[in-house]
Amino acid sequence: MEEMPEKIEIRQRFPEWREMLKPVKKFEEGRLSYISLPKQVDSEFFKMPFGDVERDLHDLKLPENWKELFLEAMKETLEKNRAFKLFMDICVRCGACADKCHYYIGTGDPKNMPVGRAELIRSVYRRYFTLSGKIFGKWAGARELTEDVVRELYYYAYQCSLCRRCSLFCPYGIDTAEIVWWLRRILSRIGLNQRFMTISIEASARTGNHLGLLPGGMAGAIQQGLEELKDVTGFDLHTYINKKGADVLFVAPSGDYFATPHWFVMLGYLLLFNELEEKYGLTVTWSTYASEGGNFGTFHSYEAAQLLNSKIYKEAERLGVSFIIGGECGHMWRDKHQFINTMNNPPKNEEWKRFWENPDLGELAEGLRGVRFDSYASGEHGWIHILEFTAALIEHKKITLDKSRNDHWAATYHDPCNVARGMGLIEEPRYVLRNVMNKFYEMPEHTIKEKTYCCGAGGGLLADEIMDLRMRGVMPRMMAARHVYKKYGVNILLTPCAIDKAQFPHALEYWKIPIEVGGPMEMVGNALVLTAFGEKPEDRQYDLRGEPLNKEEGE
Amino acid sequence: MIGVIFGVIVPYIAVAIFVVGVIYRFINWANSAVPLKIPTTGGQQKSLPFIKRTIYDRFDSPYTWWETVGRMILEIFMFRSLLKNTRYYLDRVSQKDARWLWLFAILFHYSLLLVLIRHSRFFLQPVPEFVEMLSEIEAFKGVFIPSVYVSGLAIVAGLFLLWLRRIFLSRERTLSLPSDHFALILLLAITISGNIMRYFFKADLEKVKELLMNLMVFDVGKAVAIADSIEPIFYVHFVLASFLLAYFPFSKLMHAGGVLFTPTRNMPNDNRARRHVNPWDSDPSVPILAKGITVGGKTFTSKKLDWDTYYSMYTDQLDEIAESDYKIAPEEL
Ligand code: HEM
Ligand code: SF4
Ligand code: SF4
Repeated sequence: MEEMPEKIEIRQRFPEWREMLKPVKKFEEGRLSYISLPKQVDSEFFKMPFGDVERDLHDLKLPENWKELFLEAMKETLEKNRAFKLFMDICVRCGACADKCHYYIGTGDPKNMPVGRAELIRSVYRRYFTLSGKIFGKWAGARELTEDVVRELYYYAYQCSLCRRCSLFCPYGIDTAEIVWWLRRILSRIGLNQRFMTISIEASARTGNHLGLLPGGMAGAIQQGLEELKDVTGFDLHTYINKKGADVLFVAPSGDYFATPHWFVMLGYLLLFNELEEKYGLTVTWSTYASEGGNFGTFHSYEAAQLLNSKIYKEAERLGVSFIIGGECGHMWRDKHQFINTMNNPPKNEEWKRFWENPDLGELAEGLRGVRFDSYASGEHGWIHILEFTAALIEHKKITLDKSRNDHWAATYHDPCNVARGMGLIEEPRYVLRNVMNKFYEMPEHTIKEKTYCCGAGGGLLADEIMDLRMRGVMPRMMAARHVYKKYGVNILLTPCAIDKAQFPHALEYWKIPIEVGGPMEMVGNALVLTAFGEKPEDRQYDLRGEPLNKEEGE
Repeated sequence: MIGVIFGVIVPYIAVAIFVVGVIYRFINWANSAVPLKIPTTGGQQKSLPFIKRTIYDRFDSPYTWWETVGRMILEIFMFRSLLKNTRYYLDRVSQKDARWLWLFAILFHYSLLLVLIRHSRFFLQPVPEFVEMLSEIEAFKGVFIPSVYVSGLAIVAGLFLLWLRRIFLSRERTLSLPSDHFALILLLAITISGNIMRYFFKADLEKVKELLMNLMVFDVGKAVAIADSIEPIFYVHFVLASFLLAYFPFSKLMHAGGVLFTPTRNMPNDNRARRHVNPWDSDPSVPILAKGITVGGKTFTSKKLDWDTYYSMYTDQLDEIAESDYKIAPEEL
């Protein structure tokens, strides 16, 4: 772990427009991401152009005709993506988006304003693709593409977490995340990729998941979870992996297999699936091949995203499942809601087709009749979020819950950016939380739901070397968390996102807010009464963290 | 002579540039593909029946075609996204309302709309009833003599407010390019010259109308004849406006048409019900990277990890899983 910055000073600067067009030469400590090494981007399974050269930002070692290649890639992007083209053209620089970015708030760097970030590439666009830019040059806000400009583009493209908060407030919906995403793709065409994300992309292209877990390792991790659950519940539970003929394929972000506090969410999933199988006969399987729900490819480019998410529908088809449930993860749901069924052909197996003709869980397990998904999903997509699924089970009274088992928690809920602004999953988690716990409090209105602030580590920015940026970017979220901690005594920050769960523990420590981090499915796991196993509400002695539930008075 | 150049030649060229330019831009945007369905969801998605959506959710996170149209209409006529505007101050938990930006923008654009509608009386014969009526209403007919059109003054005020914002607020000053100031200055010049003509140095409006009517039917001979008899002050206004028309397609003013094209607003949030097909990847059975991408004449192909490859790489471990009948249970002690 890189050193955390001792002290943060936010120095706002307001240079004049001419300076905004000049590339910065000095890169702040803790904000510059490392560039990929050949083993990540010249690998057999993930081969990027010019990935065979080791480079760093001071010595880019660009291919000889890099300028031509850059402009060619840019031209291609303008043709291939209307959003990118339009967003180059129609910004009026009204500044409505400027202070909506948590990185701008945290750094005060004017080029971290969403519009400032977009202008970095827009100025190049004007110079090479517009008449006024060609004629009037800098007076039309245009600038030459130089190596320094490329450095700057890289530096700021990797200070955006693709959170889309700016897009929400822009009168034309200009989505700087979209601009940055395609800019990263252009940069990757001349050999510049960010190391942190490509480590995971390469691993996932080679093994099926970001962590590079092999089949045995993944099965072992899940087995360990079952062993812990035996200690907590006293029951012998089980689950399936790579099982043909299961009803449902379950796909979680791979962080859930190992990391803490992700782990407790994983235990929650396992409890739910066991209760459903024992009580109703619904079978859920994991897959070692489709073992990654998250998709770091979505931080890099359309093509990288597709390379990674192409496995999942294929696996659903191979196993013959009826639909797919996805776990708790943020960017994953941008991918699994908006991208996956465009980037791939949906499964065509018989079970899938039959189920989606009448998508009632009763078709798979009679006792679950009435739980349906056709109000918003179809066989052309086929993914259901675990919290939507759980909410439906609760609404139809298919599972028994004991809220009081979560009485030692006072929770607040953080909406992951892409779940809120790339999907619209806002009320389902709240519905679930209100049903599994008694103490649930909201953070201030301008920091939640569609206006939610990023954790500061999304979009590939969970890298250790940019800890300064991460701790700054998370500030607005932390201030909101501190507010509810002081006001309501909140002691856990719940979030259905694997990156959040990795970032928040550091952030809370850094900003000195003594609360825990967890996920909604952990709370579900605590409250879920395993009636099918003969469990009574009062039987459970421990929560999923192994803490005794009935602490002695005065402890 | 002045009349012929500024009253006939310049406006013809300007209108031609405007029309061709705008059409070109529209075609240019429309020709660019839409690879993904990427609405920015500003509210609760349509999901399970018991998850209630408010009326705001339906427009901010539209699911049907109608809801999407509603969202666009609210954006275009209400500047709905701008209406959410806040300003962040470094006292960290609070966020201040900044809807004045919305107010200025609305003030300017609606005044502009009114002014344009009133201008239509120079182009239409007979003048439509509602244009007359609108003019009378907004001038509070009979209160002032000569009547004062509110929108004509409001547009100047609106433009000044928007400009002052760019001059005095540090963030906006940093962001503003010369072209941003230029657009405002140009519009100010047009509107101020228009007001001057109206209240101080009057031009003969009958003749102006005649000129425009003849220009519109391409009766160049008559237009030339009238052009020279109109007062110079008119040409100040007229030339500036012509310039605006010619400038329009190449500038940020194109946001007016662009807002219709914006994929984060004009697409419904129904990805899971209806599949979107990417025109340049319409049969995605093999990932693009596995087919190979060509950059600078070299092709880069990533090996595809299909199940068979995967199985051949990790056969032992996968067989072990198969031996346990694909079941994981706690280890027997
Ligand atoms: C469908 C029509 C239009 C919509 C939805 C629209 C929307 C907007 C919005 C939301 C802003 C940003 C707020 C601001 O900075 O004031 C803006 C700015 C602006 N609009 Fe429009 N607009 C439209 C048509 C036009 C037209 C026809 C013109 C002029 C000829 C125009 C000229 C401007 C100018 C000059 C600004 C910039 C103000 C500044 O620089 O501060 N707009 N527009
Ligand atoms: S809010 Fe939109 S139009 Fe305004 S400056 Fe930002 S990106 Fe440009
Ligand atoms: S997407 Fe998020 S991180 Fe990126 S510029 Fe916009 S607000 Fe900032």
